[in-house]
Amino acid sequence: MKVGVFVCHCGSNIEATVDTAAVAAAAREFPGVVFATDTMYTCSEPGQDEIVNAIKEHNLGGIVVASCTPRMHEQTFRRTVERAGLNKYLFEMANIREHVSWIGKDREANTNKSVDLVRMATEKLLRNRPLYSKKFDINKRVLVIGGGVAGIQAALDCADGGLEVVMVEKTSTIGGKMAKLDKTFPTVDCSSCILGPRMVDVAQHPNITLYAYSEIEEINGYVGNFEIKVKKKATYVNWDSCTGCGICMEKCPSKKATDYFNEGIGKTTAINIPFPQAIPKKAKIDPDFCTKLTKGKCGVCAKVCPSGCIDYEMQDEFVTEKVGAIVTATGYDLFDWSVYGEYGAGRYPDVITGLQYERMLSASGPTGGHIKRPSDGKEPKNIVFIQCVGSRDKSVGRPYCTGFCCMYTAKQAILTKDHLPDSQSYVFYMDIRAVGKLYDEFTRRAMEEYDTKYIRGRVSMIYPKGEKLLVRGADTLMGSQVEVDADLVVLAVGAEASAGASELAEKLRISYDSYGFYMEGHPKLKPVETNTAGVYLAGACQGPKDIPSSVAQGSAAAAKVLGLFSKDQLESDPQVSIVDIKRCIGCGKCIQTCPFGAIKEMEFRGMVKADVIETICQGCGICTSTCPQGAIQLQHSTDNQILSEVNALCQF
Amino acid sequence: MGNPRSESNKGDQVKFQEELKDNIRKALPELDVVIGWCGSFDPLHATPHFMRREEDIDKLEISPLSVHNLATYLPGLRGKKVGIVVKGCDSRSVVELLQENLINREDITIFGFPCTGVVDQSKIKKALGGHTGNIEFCDMSESVIVIKSEDKAYTLPMAEMLADKCSSCRYPDAVISDYFAGEKIGNKGEEDADYAAVETFENLSVPERFGYWLKEFDRCIRCYACRNACPLCVCRDHCAAESRDPHWLSQENNVRDKLMFQVIHAYHLAGRCTECGECQRACPVDIPVLMFKQKMNKEIRDTFQYEAGVDPEATPPLLSFKMKEENITEKVW
Repeated sequence: MKVGVFVCHCGSNIEATVDTAAVAAAAREFPGVVFATDTMYTCSEPGQDEIVNAIKEHNLGGIVVASCTPRMHEQTFRRTVERAGLNKYLFEMANIREHVSWIGKDREANTNKSVDLVRMATEKLLRNRPLYSKKFDINKRVLVIGGGVAGIQAALDCADGGLEVVMVEKTSTIGGKMAKLDKTFPTVDCSSCILGPRMVDVAQHPNITLYAYSEIEEINGYVGNFEIKVKKKATYVNWDSCTGCGICMEKCPSKKATDYFNEGIGKTTAINIPFPQAIPKKAKIDPDFCTKLTKGKCGVCAKVCPSGCIDYEMQDEFVTEKVGAIVTATGYDLFDWSVYGEYGAGRYPDVITGLQYERMLSASGPTGGHIKRPSDGKEPKNIVFIQCVGSRDKSVGRPYCTGFCCMYTAKQAILTKDHLPDSQSYVFYMDIRAVGKLYDEFTRRAMEEYDTKYIRGRVSMIYPKGEKLLVRGADTLMGSQVEVDADLVVLAVGAEASAGASELAEKLRISYDSYGFYMEGHPKLKPVETNTAGVYLAGACQGPKDIPSSVAQGSAAAAKVLGLFSKDQLESDPQVSIVDIKRCIGCGKCIQTCPFGAIKEMEFRGMVKADVIETICQGCGICTSTCPQGAIQLQHSTDNQILSEVNALCQF
Repeated sequence: MGNPRSESNKGDQVKFQEELKDNIRKALPELDVVIGWCGSFDPLHATPHFMRREEDIDKLEISPLSVHNLATYLPGLRGKKVGIVVKGCDSRSVVELLQENLINREDITIFGFPCTGVVDQSKIKKALGGHTGNIEFCDMSESVIVIKSEDKAYTLPMAEMLADKCSSCRYPDAVISDYFAGEKIGNKGEEDADYAAVETFENLSVPERFGYWLKEFDRCIRCYACRNACPLCVCRDHCAAESRDPHWLSQENNVRDKLMFQVIHAYHLAGRCTECGECQRACPVDIPVLMFKQKMNKEIRDTFQYEAGVDPEATPPLLSFKMKEENITEKVW
């Protein structure tokens, strides 16, 4: 193979600390290299043309480009060599930007390292073989996991685009966190008034199948052909006949069930519909509190139900759905703020979370929209808001900014004044982060028009003083200590990855960061893709997000799905494992370790052998390191290629 | 050649040996072959014995000379109905082969017996002054071995001649068997394996350790007896040692390549090796190659709380895939 080498300056990104001309000169001496040069921007049009021309002029069989990370431009250059008539896998990239020029200043050492990387890439390239993709049919249905506002947006956009959508929601109603909110910033419009119609659209759309109170049990398959096992959790109510009349709720004698929808502000009945606008508006029994299910006594709901849909014997049910793409919109949960001893660690009833306060403000909430102290039901006068609880705090392992707390705290301060004109709100803050259209104006309004006292500083202690809570903190602008006699303290608790996010990620085979938020394909250029083909992200599962951003991502994910499904067939990536059957002894260790279920047993002349299903294999290479015989090899990264790279580097 | 060993001191052994032969007689008609041990070229050695006919069974002999791990033959005989006589340690190899789907349970008939230990021929050779030619007589009791060689008589204490693995044996009885002859001694699998020797070695400095192995491997003749004797080396014609594709090792006579092969061997056996010691026993130049595998097993035990070849239903930790391992911390930064 005649090899051509192109060493990119990347403007000054590389050239500033790497002598690219010297790297090209050194490359000319490598075995196989017949042409080497340095170029200003290899990825630009003239840069790519230079590659095409060199291939034709020097009859090159393979190309090495030494430039940035393959995640940036591997696809670009593969298309370039393909345009020149070569197989696109007869191309290798040496990363001399992220791995060299950006991380070191010593020009000589950088140049030497770049030469080594180019030598390795050349040695690997000499052992590359042409690879060819296969085409396969796709199933143009999409699964949306999570029925919050991001999931709803993605589902409606996909459904309007003509796709069949399956939505799976963990709780018994869609709506997510947004359904719990009273008003939304910065326009202070009613949350359920703007979300409610969208929820109804989901229920009524002919293209959407909704599985509420259901969870993802298993995901198999690959882009275009996923097979999803959905667990429909037992509701003990036959939803086909339940009309949502609510008589069961009225008559249920177990009135002390945890009210998850209302964030524990108040109690609910063991059989309940979470809130009046719930979609689907169907009752379900909380088995932890139903005396019929725990003690075998009661049965009142079954007696009063006019449509006879109570079924105490109901079991979890499993259904299988086949889809071609998945949008994950599993949202967030609140940080467990009880780790903060200074805020009372959950001991004081009048220290509540922002979301609990939101339920209190809501007209459909347990207090009917009246702000009351949970301890004695009295109207509070002094209300203290504390921001950054579980945000921007390394000491509790949450160094990130949740991003929307500044805004909802301002909103709650405004609403507090609307509800209780005589009240006084105080906000302890670190910085005001009001980045967004009309956002800063909004926080200004809270301060200037609603007379909210903003105190820049942290609270060091909350302790009870008679009926009140004494909040002691610092005012860092004044350089003094502050004490506020508060009737109610509202914590702006930060967001964290939703419970079970990592388990779901494992089923989806996508990666997540150390906080459990899902990793996007590229922080700038692939914000809703994941590194698993066919799996997309929307909303706060990727990182804390406010409603506008979540909705935008929902639409973006839908656009990606619609784009994916614009073709009838997809091409598989041929950089997968392949079994050398003469070496395979049929022990099946690869089958056991494959995280994708991509390897099956097959029979060959009466012997058991392993067989890779090309379209499922993701090319991770775990099988190749498991196989003791070296019988299974990654086609584009064989043991021989790795060894040749090692040998190129370790010359002694 | 005959066997001049007196059997007066081993009433029990004779009894279970007869019981074992009866077991084999019962099972043989259904089997293609049963593998055991019989006398060999001199009274101090035994050899693997393949019993295909009824009369072959009479030659079966179980003694402290039954050193070979016969499980090594099983993968090669896959597809045939095979009976195998196993010591406790050998049975663990059978379990591991079953776990790894390298043999089929329904094709294998396992004959167990209570093992009281086997000798280490290297130790005997040393006690005999490095010379084991012309053995005229050998007799073994529980406490001593009496050997006559070239008109000299030697009385060697049995305890000192036993293989190292036997003195700390926790599985004297077969952990899996279809027939068991004699009284079980009792396995002590719940006790921790003894890795004191490995720990002592670990405490040496890196140059000391590396120097030790360079010295030991200087005499390696690359015969690969260690590999051939290993019951879990199943790559057959595609061993990394000789493969040019991929070309892991050169064929040059240098210590680094010899050492590299042992490292590959140890890695291939991590979490699989049952420490039967066949590699070290087979080594004609007595390189203590078992220590590599013991080191790997110690790591596997500490990381996964797993011991190879005990439970046929268990999945070896390196043959499974978990997103999160309890004892492996990723993302340490």
